[in-house]
Amino acid sequence: MTLIMVVDDDQDLAEMLGIVLTGAGYEVDLVSRGDEVMPLFAAQNPDLVLLDVMLPGLNGVEVCKLIRENSMVPIVMLSAKGDKQDVVAGLEAGADDYMVKPFDPAELVARMKVRLRRSITEVNSELAIGNLKIDQIEHSIIRDGQVIALTRLEFDLLVALAKEPGRVFTREALLSEVWGYRPATDTRLVNVHIQRLRSKIEVNPEEPKVILTVRGVGYKAGVPGSSQ
Amino acid sequence: MRSPFKAWKSSLVYRVTGTIVVLSMILIGLLGSALYSRVSAGIFDEKLKLSILDAQSTARNTQIQLSYSKYRDKAALTFVFSDILALPPKTYESAAKEIAVFSFENINKMFRFNGASNSLDLKSISKKFREETQKSKETQWERTKLRYLDGKSESAIVVGNNLVISGVGKYEFYVIFSLAQQERTMALILNYLWLTGIALTLLIGLTTFFVMRRLIAPIQDAARVAEELTTGNLDLRMDIHGEDEIASLGYSFNEMAVSLQQQISRLENLSKLQQRFVSDVSHELRTPLTTIRMASQVIYASRENFEPTVARSAELLISQIERFESLLTDLLEVSRFDAQAAILEIEAIDIVILVKETIDYVHPSQDRIINLKAPNSPVLVDVDPRRIKRIIRNLISNAIDHREGKDIDVRISETENEVSIGVRDYGSGFNFSDKKLLFERFWRADSSRARTTGGTGLGLSIALEDAKLHQGEIDVWGERDKGAHFVLTIPKFAGGSIESKPITAQLN
Repeated sequence: MTLIMVVDDDQDLAEMLGIVLTGAGYEVDLVSRGDEVMPLFAAQNPDLVLLDVMLPGLNGVEVCKLIRENSMVPIVMLSAKGDKQDVVAGLEAGADDYMVKPFDPAELVARMKVRLRRSITEVNSELAIGNLKIDQIEHSIIRDGQVIALTRLEFDLLVALAKEPGRVFTREALLSEVWGYRPATDTRLVNVHIQRLRSKIEVNPEEPKVILTVRGVGYKAGVPGSSQ
Repeated sequence: MRSPFKAWKSSLVYRVTGTIVVLSMILIGLLGSALYSRVSAGIFDEKLKLSILDAQSTARNTQIQLSYSKYRDKAALTFVFSDILALPPKTYESAAKEIAVFSFENINKMFRFNGASNSLDLKSISKKFREETQKSKETQWERTKLRYLDGKSESAIVVGNNLVISGVGKYEFYVIFSLAQQERTMALILNYLWLTGIALTLLIGLTTFFVMRRLIAPIQDAARVAEELTTGNLDLRMDIHGEDEIASLGYSFNEMAVSLQQQISRLENLSKLQQRFVSDVSHELRTPLTTIRMASQVIYASRENFEPTVARSAELLISQIERFESLLTDLLEVSRFDAQAAILEIEAIDIVILVKETIDYVHPSQDRIINLKAPNSPVLVDVDPRRIKRIIRNLISNAIDHREGKDIDVRISETENEVSIGVRDYGSGFNFSDKKLLFERFWRADSSRARTTGGTGLGLSIALEDAKLHQGEIDVWGERDKGAHFVLTIPKFAGGSIESKPITAQLN
């Protein structure tokens, strides 16, 4: 059974989340303090973490960084503030997605499903983007024989771009394909993740060759095999 | 280095110093030339007086000398004259320089004699002066320029007398005195005058310059400090020395700066408090609202098991929570504007795509009630897409609410630096006189009418604030039962301003 770790200091909200998620068929583990997360995380090894930003003990952004040090588990931040600093801080710490309170529980479950979904192995299991090779079976990215570690979200984002090499993706399109959003939501999510991804896979992130920006529209895949 | 003209225009020091230097130059020039002419006249008069006395005595002596001689022929006469001319008298200050003798026109040919000492050019003595000397019995004088046959010349005074030799006739007798010594003296005096004048002018100029600089320095300091204060460096103060008028200017200035700083920090604190409050309210309200919302949805999901009245209550609960939520969101946005805490996050986007997506979002159904007229090519703009989307969503939702079954026209049009998005409906419209009220918070076009959708009453007010953040404007036209036309115009590039409007709000 899929285990979700819910970290929130508000007991009632945590309990309600527990009810909703149990109803959706997940096993739920409730944590109320930021500094209690890591020991439990190591013991339980959850499949996804729902993480509030404002936490006693240790705040959500710090917790997120700690988890990311040795795990690529999907992390969805829950924020009471829609302010840019909070959101960006969470995403830069390694969160895959965030939900601003008060959120629609149905939407929360939908997005969690997208984050939990295993990439289905397709016939074309070898993809290329820029000078990178994507091995969809092994779930790895190889550049010049070196394996680059990516979170599942970053992997999905790269695969989405690589699957349709000619297409220019608007950020809204990426949001719906990779995050499972309907349009007209916050596109900052995309900007931050593209930046993080570039810092991992580009030789020179200032001059991206793998993920190219199309001014005023969005992003597209770099030509496979192009030298950097 | 600044150009002198600019320095003159912009610096009081240069202007005052320049004026004073020019004035003192004129004054010193006038005084100097007056002094010079008085001194030179005095020196000349003295010399003239002596010269006349000297010449008269020389003439008398010569007259006596001539009277003792007998002249039988020209040779004898010439001999005597040559003797006189060969040894010009060295009387008094050895000042007499030359002597010249001319015989009158009517003299016997054999006694005719014209000559001068040394190699003096006889023409040095003007004809006019000679005529005056001939006619007069008195001693005559004239200032002239001596010329020598070898080309030398110098200033001199010529004093003329007539000599009479009985039995022979009359001769003009000129004694010539050099003015070279006097001219040298005058030249020396002139040099000193120039030197004194220049030195005085420099002294006055420099003194004025430094005094002015000293006076101006605190004023410049005040200007510099004021400028720094304007740019936000509120801790800067003027340096104050002594207790004079300048110091009191400094004290007043610094007091002003202190009170300014206090006012500003008070306002800053208020604004920070406001923002903190908004942020806290946001957090405190949102968490319980999330719980309520989830609870209501759980209840709503199992409404089939409830009695009809309880089931209906669950439905009402859901819809009112949604309304409460959007009201909360709008209120927070409004208070962010009031605290001036709203920040633009500028990106380059294609506004045509943005408008299309917004239309799809607001009205996702298949039957097209919204007609979009837009340029075929992308219209790139630097904007905060979240805010622009919110404005357009608002205008279109408004139009849908009031369209009364008729289609809506959305139009995008651009000029070089501006882009307009017009939303036109042909529905209920509004009284044109209410135009200004439209953007007021919680104002409704017809308070008695039932609301058709869940608008919060803050939408247009927020849209206007969002437009203003972009240096943009929203123009409105409307008429009861003929519809409404809302036009958003924004500059395409960040930091620009609207100079023309591609679409004007009017009937069409």
